[in-house]
Amino acid sequence: MLLEVKNLNAGYGFLQILRDVSLTVDTGEYVCLVGPNGAGKSTTLKTIAGLVSPMSGEILFKGEPIGGLPGNKVARKGIALVSEAMNLFVNMTVQENLAMGAYTIRDKRLQKDRLDFVFDLFPRLVERRNQLAGTMSGGERKMLAIGRGLMSNPTLLLVDEPSFGLAPLLTESVFQSLDTLIKQGMTIMVVEQNVTKTLSVTDRGYVLENGRIELSGKSSDLACDAHVRKVFLGV
Amino acid sequence: MVEQVEKRIWERIFKWSGSAAGMAVIMTVVVAVAATLDRGGYVLVNTVVTGGMLALVAMGLALVFGVMNIPMFAHGEYFMIGSLTAYYVFTPINNYITMHPDSALTFIGPLITIVAAMIVGALVGVASEVLVFSQLRKRSRENWVMNSFLLTVGLSVVLINAHQLFFGADFKGITRYWAGPPITVMDVFISRDRAMSFALAAIVVVVFWFFMTYTRTGRAIRAVSQDENGALMVGIGLKGILLLTMSLSCSLAAIAGASLLFMYPAYPSVGLEPLYMAWFVVILAGLGNVLGAVMGAFMVALLKVLTIEYIGSGWDFVVPSALIIVVLIFKPSGIFGSEVRGILDK
Repeated sequence: MLLEVKNLNAGYGFLQILRDVSLTVDTGEYVCLVGPNGAGKSTTLKTIAGLVSPMSGEILFKGEPIGGLPGNKVARKGIALVSEAMNLFVNMTVQENLAMGAYTIRDKRLQKDRLDFVFDLFPRLVERRNQLAGTMSGGERKMLAIGRGLMSNPTLLLVDEPSFGLAPLLTESVFQSLDTLIKQGMTIMVVEQNVTKTLSVTDRGYVLENGRIELSGKSSDLACDAHVRKVFLGV
Repeated sequence: MVEQVEKRIWERIFKWSGSAAGMAVIMTVVVAVAATLDRGGYVLVNTVVTGGMLALVAMGLALVFGVMNIPMFAHGEYFMIGSLTAYYVFTPINNYITMHPDSALTFIGPLITIVAAMIVGALVGVASEVLVFSQLRKRSRENWVMNSFLLTVGLSVVLINAHQLFFGADFKGITRYWAGPPITVMDVFISRDRAMSFALAAIVVVVFWFFMTYTRTGRAIRAVSQDENGALMVGIGLKGILLLTMSLSCSLAAIAGASLLFMYPAYPSVGLEPLYMAWFVVILAGLGNVLGAVMGAFMVALLKVLTIEYIGSGWDFVVPSALIIVVLIFKPSGIFGSEVRGILDK
């Protein structure tokens, strides 16, 4: 198992969001976490990435406990988070942002390889390389955020709401690039509100409601599940 | 092709000169030149020397605000620590120089003094981060700006009184760093100390700029100032960066304090004037904007020199303050905008 989360409880201050969340992600898998607003999807990703510290429970990455480590240490272990807010460095250019993404890589040649890889995946970023990140459109920023996450050559990519605030066409292209990454052997865990779309592309899914995992299984099965259809798809 | 590039550069310059930053810079240069023609070269010289040192203090202030979100009101005390250190290091050196006027120390001695002050400043910066600010960071995340502001005011009072308790309240000054006849530029006599202190300021500003723009660590500092979570996500350790930022900005203030020891002798509250001036600069330039602070420092210095020149020396705090009020009303983000998106966002 690449990532194992066992009985995780987490939240902000006195406010507990996640209750006994357990999930696993295997190498090369494309896993999704779906659920209504405020269910704790983003909190789950942030806790795994070390931005929120867990109250109790275990997070194992490659068999090593990473729960409670600060975000920078988690990032160095090979987990890259593409957050919903993207957290780009808005006053730096696209190129500088990508260079910061490779902060943990000291080898200049490897940095160059990663940059070529990202530019290959998002040719749009090549045109914009000298533009300030803060002045780009939502779709381009999303690409940059994913690109910055990939710069560190992560083992596991956590993507929070790839479609949030994007036009349908752009959503499609972002999902396509995630697909390309999966085909190249990347492991991705994605959080989405666009349930139909997500369940149609991912291998496996978890349904999170009120901070608890309510259902899990193959994405195709979940898409047919009566409960899921009733709650998310309105049928 | 070349014409096109040239045209684009001109367009950019034109656009820039229409912006608030461009207008302010051009206006400053015009006013400086006009005043120089009117009153003589010493106006320009005074502006440049005052501005250079002010830039060091203001840059540190902008850095601490931009990266750590601390509205620092103890920054003047790091200036004071710099001048105090310089006094105690330079006094024995000076005695030696007086006995051996031909030794190499006549030139290098003052530099050693300033480097010593820089190191002490950095150490005190580290100490205040470890003992004070990181302790607050562990306990309070809400209302951080207000709490840290109150803490810096407290720190300032403690440091001023500690100085008074251990070193006394008298003026501990020197008459000069570098002996020798003054340098003449544009019919103005500039003392060697002033010329050297400006040269030092210029070197430090340039080195600092290179560090922030081109080195891995400098970029990491900028990344933290723009997005803390983003910085964590790419693997930048916050603790180290915060510690480094604090020690950097304190050592900048200490360099300024040490280089100006010949003008401002060390006494407990010597830091208050540079502190207020630096705050003028930072508000004018935009909170957290480090490079804007350099330009802003020269503007405030010019304003101060002109006020003393044309209105009278009692007014040199009033006019900049009035200007700050005007800036805050019409352009609250400062003339150069800011890398900080507003305190309330964080």
